[in-house]
Amino acid sequence: MTGDDPGPLIRLYGLTGGRARPAGESFDLVAIVTAVVTAAGAPAEPAGLVPEHLAALALCRRPTPVADVAAYLGLPLNVTRVLLGDLRREGLVTIDRPRPAAQTIDEGIYREVLHGLRRL
Amino acid sequence: MDYAGSEPASAAVADPAMAIKILVAGGFGVGKTTMVGTISEIRPLHTEEVLSERGVGVDDVSGVEAKTTTTVALDFGRITIREGLWLYLFGTPGQDRFWFMWDELAQGALGAVVLADTRRLQDCFPAVDYFEQLGLPFVVAVNCFDGARRHDPVTVRRALGLDGVAPILLCDVRERDSVKEVLTSLVTYSVGGAFPAG
Repeated sequence: MTGDDPGPLIRLYGLTGGRARPAGESFDLVAIVTAVVTAAGAPAEPAGLVPEHLAALALCRRPTPVADVAAYLGLPLNVTRVLLGDLRREGLVTIDRPRPAAQTIDEGIYREVLHGLRRL
Repeated sequence: MDYAGSEPASAAVADPAMAIKILVAGGFGVGKTTMVGTISEIRPLHTEEVLSERGVGVDDVSGVEAKTTTTVALDFGRITIREGLWLYLFGTPGQDRFWFMWDELAQGALGAVVLADTRRLQDCFPAVDYFEQLGLPFVVAVNCFDGARRHDPVTVRRALGLDGVAPILLCDVRERDSVKEVLTSLVTYSVGGAFPAG
């Protein structure tokens, strides 16, 4: 994508109705997004969702970080966040609150990460 | 982990998914994108983010909605440790006027790699200052380009005015093993102190 052609970006923001910020509480680039499934199954999909919403929803049947949703959809992170904010507002996904790495990494995770890096 | 017979849903509850952020900072052209690409299992995603000028450190326009937008490039890559545990590397925007974006990237991050080029060591000063002020753990990785003088880490430490704590490593961002070493050093430095060595 070059800086000379704003066309694709303008088109992308058409997906979000021109919004640059997601609805509701802000969430991190690596917050985990999970599609809501109850005993009765997935909630009904409201009208007005674009194909990108549905693709994100399908992906998040497995808990998936926001950045991965962006990579999968091939969309900028900000655009992806707006779409995920829509899904959250409709009660279709949950998005976890950002937790500082230093507080969430216990010894088990620390060793897993070190081991995982070394065997790459 | 016990895979046999476990339902995916119950496994997710027992073992919540977690993504760990690591930032890769440094001056323009120092090798941030290359470093992310060397170690990422996905092709580094290069995205252009649209931002309103209101967020770009201009004077407060007191509620006047800015119409102008600007774009900022952001690269990121991923390393899967296991299902449900990922490391994300974010190449931070090089331009100083995007500091506000660093604030968001740095929030909750494990730490940062500050890439340095000894031919333009001053280019990494802003990143070092930023992470020091924020209290985010970082390591300095001196990228040894072909033909670049191989500096002694002690010299680099003195030039950067660093205290004796933050690790300084020499690396080649094109070499996988070298990048692995940088990342393991960062992980150990950031959180390893709380746990017995091993």
